[in-house]
Amino acid sequence: MSLSQIETEAAGVDAAAAPVAPQPGMVGRSPGRLAWARLRANRTAMVSGWIMVFFVVLGLAAPLVELVYGISPFEQFQDKIANNSLPLGYFGGVSGEHWFGLEPQLGRDIFIRLVYGLRTSLFIAVSAALLTTGLGIVLGIISGYLGGWIDAVISWVIDFALALPFLIFALAIMPTVTARFYGPRDEIPVPFRIGVMIFLFALFGWTGTARLVRGQVISLREREFVEAARASGAGLFHILFRQLLPNLWAPILVSFSLAVPGYITGEAALSFLGIGVVDPTPDFGVMINKSLSYAQTDPAYLIFPGVVIFLLVLAFNLFGDGLRDALDPKSSR
Amino acid sequence: MLRFLIKRLLLGALTMFAVSLVAFGMFFMLPRDAVATMCVKNCNPERLERVRVELGLKDPLIDQYTGYMKGIFVGRDLGSAQGGYCDAPCLGYSYTSSEEVSDIFARVLPVTLSIVLPAAVLWLGLGIGLGMLSALKRGTVFDRLAIGFSLTGASMQLYFVGGMLMIIFVYTLKILPVPHYTSLWEDPLDWAGGLVLAWVALAFLFSAVYARLSRAQMLETLAEDFVRTARAKGLSKSRAYGRHALRAAITPIVTIAGLDIGGALGGTVITETTFGIQGLGRTAVEAVRLGDLPTIMATVLISAVFIVVANIVVDLLYAVIDPRVRLG
Amino acid sequence: MRSRAVLALGSVLALSVALGACSENTNTENGVDTDRQSSGVIATDPKDSMGPAAAVSGASKGGTFTVIRQTKISHMDPQRVYSFVGLNTAPLYARFLTTWKDDGKGHVVLVGDLAETPGVNVNKDCKVWEFKIKDGVKFEDGSAITSKEVAYGIARSFDPDLAGGPTYIQEWLADDAAFDKKWDFKANKSSLPPGLTTPDAKTLRFEFAKPHCDLPFAASLPATAPLPPAKDLGVDLDNKPFSSGPYKLVKNTVGVEMVFERNEHWDANTDPVRNAYPDKFVYQFGPNAEAQTNRLIADGDADKATLGWNGVDSSLVAKVAGDSALMGRTLREPTPSAWRLSINTQRVPDLSVRQALNYAIDRPGMVKAAGGDLKVAPLTTLMPPSTLGFKKYDAYPADIEKAKSTLAGKTPELVLVIGDDSGAQELGTQVKNNLEKAGFKITIKVIPADSKLDETKKKSNPWDLYLDSWAADWPSGAALLPVLFDGRTIKDEGNSNTSYVNNDAINAEFDRVLALDPAAQAPEWAKLDERIMKELAPAVPLYADVMFVMHGSKVGGVYIDSIFGYPAFTRAFVKQ
Repeated sequence: MSLSQIETEAAGVDAAAAPVAPQPGMVGRSPGRLAWARLRANRTAMVSGWIMVFFVVLGLAAPLVELVYGISPFEQFQDKIANNSLPLGYFGGVSGEHWFGLEPQLGRDIFIRLVYGLRTSLFIAVSAALLTTGLGIVLGIISGYLGGWIDAVISWVIDFALALPFLIFALAIMPTVTARFYGPRDEIPVPFRIGVMIFLFALFGWTGTARLVRGQVISLREREFVEAARASGAGLFHILFRQLLPNLWAPILVSFSLAVPGYITGEAALSFLGIGVVDPTPDFGVMINKSLSYAQTDPAYLIFPGVVIFLLVLAFNLFGDGLRDALDPKSSR
Repeated sequence: MLRFLIKRLLLGALTMFAVSLVAFGMFFMLPRDAVATMCVKNCNPERLERVRVELGLKDPLIDQYTGYMKGIFVGRDLGSAQGGYCDAPCLGYSYTSSEEVSDIFARVLPVTLSIVLPAAVLWLGLGIGLGMLSALKRGTVFDRLAIGFSLTGASMQLYFVGGMLMIIFVYTLKILPVPHYTSLWEDPLDWAGGLVLAWVALAFLFSAVYARLSRAQMLETLAEDFVRTARAKGLSKSRAYGRHALRAAITPIVTIAGLDIGGALGGTVITETTFGIQGLGRTAVEAVRLGDLPTIMATVLISAVFIVVANIVVDLLYAVIDPRVRLG
Repeated sequence: MRSRAVLALGSVLALSVALGACSENTNTENGVDTDRQSSGVIATDPKDSMGPAAAVSGASKGGTFTVIRQTKISHMDPQRVYSFVGLNTAPLYARFLTTWKDDGKGHVVLVGDLAETPGVNVNKDCKVWEFKIKDGVKFEDGSAITSKEVAYGIARSFDPDLAGGPTYIQEWLADDAAFDKKWDFKANKSSLPPGLTTPDAKTLRFEFAKPHCDLPFAASLPATAPLPPAKDLGVDLDNKPFSSGPYKLVKNTVGVEMVFERNEHWDANTDPVRNAYPDKFVYQFGPNAEAQTNRLIADGDADKATLGWNGVDSSLVAKVAGDSALMGRTLREPTPSAWRLSINTQRVPDLSVRQALNYAIDRPGMVKAAGGDLKVAPLTTLMPPSTLGFKKYDAYPADIEKAKSTLAGKTPELVLVIGDDSGAQELGTQVKNNLEKAGFKITIKVIPADSKLDETKKKSNPWDLYLDSWAADWPSGAALLPVLFDGRTIKDEGNSNTSYVNNDAINAEFDRVLALDPAAQAPEWAKLDERIMKELAPAVPLYADVMFVMHGSKVGGVYIDSIFGYPAFTRAFVKQ
């Protein structure tokens, strides 16, 4: 579900973004500078950009936060949990010591788990977005420029990948892969699980970018600057990655920035089905899923993670939207 | 046109073949033992082994695959443990449900269709409507509100929205029944009442994409020469926009809608889990968890068919909507 | 746009606050009688086995009783029924040789159901048993039930295609665990398994090679339900059972809904336990425990005569427990489902390590992690309090320091295997953190929840610790201790003795107690329980499940059965 969303969002740029051909000789600001200026003028984009930066820094600095806060994400405070398994006191056990309260049952500190969870989620989402974008660019550019049977094969593979139901395969791949790589007594290391998730996203998510890039390249390949490069005997690699790629960065950047929130959502969805990250690793998906059922009895448990993940995804979406407007002068006229 | 159609159908068949191969191979690597799961207490190794032989799980993989595919096209005998002869299209006999897989699908498919299709109408209508209106009223408060609304939707999680909707409308206000499925033909009102929350939640989440896309498309088309010409020729605003601009803007939307609807049909797990409705998605997840191979195969194949067919339909629609597209 | 983001955030906050009133959470009493004692007898007076069942005060006939459950019932074919929901649903559409009269508070009497008495021990050696079938008992088509149909039902349970059901009677008749090899049902459909005979239409006779004093208990399981050979649909009977009980299954949409309507040929005067008040029973499948609880809290018109099988969701326990009106619509009883942390003694042969594990476990913490004291009750014995003759003791009072000194500086590295379902993972985290405080080094291995049970039942399984539960098929130590701890039964796969203990002295003691008269056995099992824990420490007893279920405001007569600890419907009625 989340994957097709990414593709559609990026595809919005597909038709909208004008290829920016290099125009030597022109005096003035480069298209990149122009876009930057437009982005800076967009207050929404700037605010959401800063929120993004804040979350990223918070995630990166998680161990530092732990040092200052003085509580580890795995520490249990069960003496502060009542015999009905909910935290003692008001609003989910919020106190000066536990800023966001405690988890029901196990009694771990929500604030520090959120900070670490931010780190897990962002790492997965950004890595998956980088990988899918990279794969998509390479395959899309080759397919679009070379055409012929290579194009036919890659296009068919895209159709094929789209026809596979993502969630069902994710559900099947996770246990299979872990059983192949680890012995029955080995704990599955957290990085390995995360790696498999990123791999799963990459396997199914590259098609969007590939289609997008392919479409762009097809419209560009007959342009004069490409012909000129070809005529002057430039190699294939040079044409693909030196001539064509620089003209594609605008839609790619937008698709990347919109892919990140897509994968944050996707990661949470996988955890919803029990495929993704598992307890005790702090993670957004796991937290949200557990806290949802406590909406009526311990609303604080739902609100803190819920608001943070919502803000995070919204910030990325708003920024991506602003970025598109900035890069595509037509739509912001 | 016909040549194109044949070519697309052949490619689609090839895709389906590849999907069936991958699904079959994939699930044989699953570290699950459906047979052991089936017996509760007191199972001894010999009995397990005998059941495995009877289910054909000891045959070479290739035989199992060809047997399964043969069943789909001509039917096959499954043996006494699996309800005897199974007519084509035979999707096998579920290890865990004691019934033919085709019976399971006859039951869950209408459920999933009832969730996805009306929801798609809603999200397309809402999304495109919002997008077009905000394009026409670009820069106004309405424009910003509409885009803000759809972005908020896109930033929410389905189970979060769904859970909240249920708590508000079902458990607190009690103005809607608990989400459930009734056949449309039996009781249309109950059908709608039981599913409306799922439709609304899906529409809220999905419409954002269409709102943004159609807004961008519309803005671009509005600036094109033919629309200006139409306006200059004296065509009324609504006719010029309605006839010409909408038509050109809708092409890419159709592409994505096709994929989304096809994908949603195979991926309603989360919707179904959130609202507690048993459809294709949950059936699939349970089958994977229990290692119920015949059901897994059928789910993967059916959702793949949806996507492949949706792709072909989209390609054909392209030609109908946009005469500029030449098929070949 | 910034203002709008703030607005959105604000509305989410406001909504959530509005949804849950902001009140202080404190420790409260819950009113579960976790230490209630059980009693049980086998009826000697044939009058006890006669109908009709005693009327329930305030009950009246009519109405539709609804049960909601998350997943479908795995088997409906009586010969294959073994899940708790199946065991408590089967009495609606099937009758058995014997059955339990149960007050829902732990006091049970075994009576004849189809049989006139709960069995005659012909030579007083438990080797030959006779049952006389009552007059006037009928199937849903009006044909009479005789010993022939009961015998056929038992015979078809030998069919390997019909897997899933209990195997006690088959194994005892065949005197072999591989009973389906000893006697092939498919090849001998017109005859009966060895040792089973029907001297006349009223009499059913069992002849065993070894004494089996537990037969009257085993005969209370649905596998003794009758079936006319002509109505045998093989595996397809699973979705269309042929009724011998007060209701018949008239509509079965597998996995979605089952509708039972009255079987007009059932005669209340022959039935000692079923009141059959409602006109209809409807089972709905799909909603999870959380959705069920929410529906029942709302008590909407459609849900007033409804019971949520999966119990009050742990996330909503506090809400229900905090509202006396809601608590009035719940049932809260301890169940025989006892959880333990099994120790694989093949891998942890050092007794002091196993004792240290016992000293180390923090039960109050476990109870909180498992969802609170309305979901589970702490347990220090192998047998749960519902077992006949139960005696409470604590061989290893929790004490981290004692655990450390017992380990004497050792830091055992152990692997704990858990399923990948969310509840199990929190318990795993709890156990790990708990044991590591005492100096253990615990590795958690997560495997698919559905295969965990089978994997730990393999003798060669590579793990040291696992969370196990056992609910005996009848409330006797005989259905628990020898099953779980008799080392002579260990095989390659499918073991219930997941601690893999094999101690000659204990095994001999099992034989001695099993040969005693059933009534004399009860106190002996309690003594043996304590001895096993002290001498072998094969597991850490953790807690017994508490059944905490909720129903609508028009439900009456439902009780938690004392045998399995699940809602039972034989006395259920719809308040008019």
